[in-house]
Amino acid sequence: MTCDEVKISLADYWCHALSEADEFAFGVHLASCDACRVEASLLEALWKGLALLPAEEPGSDLRGRFYETLGAYQQGLESRRSKSWSWWPRQPAWQVAASLAMLIVGLGLGYGVRAEKPHEEITQLREEVASMRQLVALSLLQQQSASERLRGVSWAYRAESSDTQVLSALVSAINHDPNVNVRLAAVDALHAFAASPVTRQAVVQALPQQTTPIVQVALIDLLVDLKEPKGAGELRKLAMAESADIGVRQRAQWALEKLQ
Amino acid sequence: MRVLAATDNNLMEQVSQGQVAQLAVLFERHHRALFRYFVSMRRDPELAQDLVQEVFFRMLRFRTTYDPAGSFTAWMYRIAHNAGLDDARKQRPDVVDIERFLNLASITPGPEEHAVRGQDLELLRRALDQLPADKREILVLSRFQGMKYEDIAAVLGCELGTVKVRVYRAIRALEQIYFTIEKEKVS
Repeated sequence: MTCDEVKISLADYWCHALSEADEFAFGVHLASCDACRVEASLLEALWKGLALLPAEEPGSDLRGRFYETLGAYQQGLESRRSKSWSWWPRQPAWQVAASLAMLIVGLGLGYGVRAEKPHEEITQLREEVASMRQLVALSLLQQQSASERLRGVSWAYRAESSDTQVLSALVSAINHDPNVNVRLAAVDALHAFAASPVTRQAVVQALPQQTTPIVQVALIDLLVDLKEPKGAGELRKLAMAESADIGVRQRAQWALEKLQ
Repeated sequence: MRVLAATDNNLMEQVSQGQVAQLAVLFERHHRALFRYFVSMRRDPELAQDLVQEVFFRMLRFRTTYDPAGSFTAWMYRIAHNAGLDDARKQRPDVVDIERFLNLASITPGPEEHAVRGQDLELLRRALDQLPADKREILVLSRFQGMKYEDIAAVLGCELGTVKVRVYRAIRALEQIYFTIEKEKVS
């Protein structure tokens, strides 16, 4: 073993990770080379000392924040799954049959309920619940604490998909929230508002404003999910932007191909 | 499969297939080590907590990119390394004048001095904090996290041989900074 080989084998030697033959060669070299022996001894003390440094412990709130984020993510995922569940048959013959069956059921129900008055109390109750959900989501989204704002995003999933105020608060969070987790969660939550043209426009406009690669990728993925062709211009700019992260540029290129 | 017996790779594979609740087990297993990694790198416990949170969030977002054939530890620390870099870009650059220490430490300490300083963990902590970020990271990964060199190579995107050389250079630089601080303290 040469001096250089001994130097790069030091840590392996201390960890007993050298093979028997290498350990023997290492020992032979140290026995015959004063400089390496002194250096090995000096550095070994530091190497051992590093293991004695006390380990810092995280605060108890870290666990709470993690479970809050995980819960919000699960909720978002389940909401998306339930919306993407497809029961409509693929065969044209079955599609016609299903349409006819639904028409007949619809006519029957129409006759059955036409004489009844609209159930005003239930309608009012629904409006109150929707209003309460909107209020909670909007109020949490304005909190100082990032974890509270994350809770606000998770409440946004419970709002009506036509609720423009909640949609506007989510868009504002994507564009202005200082916390990257909140911005990402808000991008995910926009899936629940996919039907609104405002969502599509907001996503296209938000893309050039973002500089954090992970949020840029999330927005690109959302554009693809929304099948929004108006995003092609921004995606092309991003794919060619030399200042952008290479992963983001590749994702933008992939999205352009998907949207074609 | 029982959760307690499941390996990290098994659990992350389940997360990548949509069973995201299994991430909680991985969090319980690894959040302390990740916290120590970030605290050692940035010396800011609050920031370290944010970054740990960020790592687990990225693991959720990019769960489908996880390759169960690879090492989970390397994959997780690759995410941690990138999260740290992304954050550092937003903050003040971590500049340490290593040359100042190398020049001051031109005199090699004798064995007596060495035996005394071996006990001074506070001094060692200060020396570690003053080490340039790339050298500090390789020591934290190899010594604190007990990672294999192959995994460190995957995290840092370099060859196995390069990792060995960099570990040696890092511990050598640590020794020089430590000796310099000690000299300053005595004088």
